[in-house]
Amino acid sequence: MQRVMISRRFLLAGFAGIASIPARAQQMDITRATAFVDRAGQDLVNAINDPRLNQAQRRDKVASILRNAIDIDGTGRFILGRYVRQASPAELQDYQKLFDEIIIRNLSARFGEYRGVKFSLGRSQQRTEEDALVSTLIERPNNPSFTLDWRVADINGQPKVVDVIAEGTSLRLTTRSEYAAVIQRNSGRVASLLDAMRGQIAQLAAREGG
Amino acid sequence: MKPFATRFLGPAALVLLLLAGCATRPPADDPEALQEFRENNDPFEPANRAMFEVNEVIDKAVLQPIAEAYRDLLPQPVRSGVRNVLGNLRTPTILTGDLLQGNVTRARETLGRFIVNSTIGIGGIVDVGRRYDVHGHSEDMGQTFAVWGVGEGFFMFVPLLGPTTARDLVGFGVDVYTNPQSLIGQGQILDVWNYTRIGMTVVDTREALLEPFDMVRKTSLDPYSTLRSAYRQRRAFEIQNKESPSGAVAPAGGVGFGQGVMEPK
Repeated sequence: MQRVMISRRFLLAGFAGIASIPARAQQMDITRATAFVDRAGQDLVNAINDPRLNQAQRRDKVASILRNAIDIDGTGRFILGRYVRQASPAELQDYQKLFDEIIIRNLSARFGEYRGVKFSLGRSQQRTEEDALVSTLIERPNNPSFTLDWRVADINGQPKVVDVIAEGTSLRLTTRSEYAAVIQRNSGRVASLLDAMRGQIAQLAAREGG
Repeated sequence: MKPFATRFLGPAALVLLLLAGCATRPPADDPEALQEFRENNDPFEPANRAMFEVNEVIDKAVLQPIAEAYRDLLPQPVRSGVRNVLGNLRTPTILTGDLLQGNVTRARETLGRFIVNSTIGIGGIVDVGRRYDVHGHSEDMGQTFAVWGVGEGFFMFVPLLGPTTARDLVGFGVDVYTNPQSLIGQGQILDVWNYTRIGMTVVDTREALLEPFDMVRKTSLDPYSTLRSAYRQRRAFEIQNKESPSGAVAPAGGVGFGQGVMEPK
């Protein structure tokens, strides 16, 4: 009799344990996302403010941190949207390469200017089951502080940034509409987007050189 | 003050829109393209793009240089004071919005800030409310319409005003007409005051947008569609009252370039 009781209790405890797993996994997710953004953000801030690095070294360091933290492949596909299927395999491959270069150059150039930057975690909130939104506060000397929200998703078991949202404006959504407009205005050719991207990279490179 | 902009620019823009024709609707056998067309909700895109180019020319020749000179000539505390005064002068519009949206908490904040900032803050020059953690926020009639359930309508680009939608442009007109400063009478002094206020609002707003605009021009492959998307996203954010407290009260209300307005730097 007692044994039955015990096993029943044991079973109940077991069920309770199973039932709590999804909840705990979600809880984990946001904690993990926050810890991930915190670590990547501190790494970035340290690289930006490191006085031992010259400009080129700093840019490389920032780029490598960003490459590790961002899901460039998935974000690139999201931004290309329905044109992923219209692009030829060669075009898609080109696109991914160009997108990687543009996003890294753009972000490195932008963050590279943030000397003396400080960053802290704000409130974070879970958005959907797949990703979490981690809010951060960016402070720079002699500049008003602002918030940046990082959308973090689990990509093959690793937390990765899939979007940056500044005051309600999502980078991947604006870029998606920008790229779609370029393709549409050139009679639906993905190749024209690739040309425009190449042109932009050349411009960015020229500016960095000067 | 007789609102010159709504009286003459509105009809002029409409005529131009009709002259310039419409965007081509994608064929019915391409559902994804159709969906995108509906989401963009930009039936007058060719005309809007033309207006955008007009705005670029005016902006580069006049507005941007003035905004840059303004930033170079006046020290940050002065520009901060100007922004605070202009934000404070927008109180009637903001308070009306708070009340029409039934947001008593925000209405109380707006009223409290106005009283404190107008007195202790010397006519609104100092944002005392912020120091007591009562941060300012923006409201306008376009946002109120949205809260009431009015859809945004088609997208428009109006030179000098920037990106907007049918709903927000009507809301802007209502805000201009119901502004008490345009109702309290006529006279030269009042006219001068109102033109000064409007002029300062344009300069201050453009100064707040110097970096964001620069960034869009430098990094976007198609600035027009970037602004269109950013405008919509930013408006959705403002309508849900999610602006971050680090922002300042935008003197022009919904500035609408997909950017919040910060303290000047």
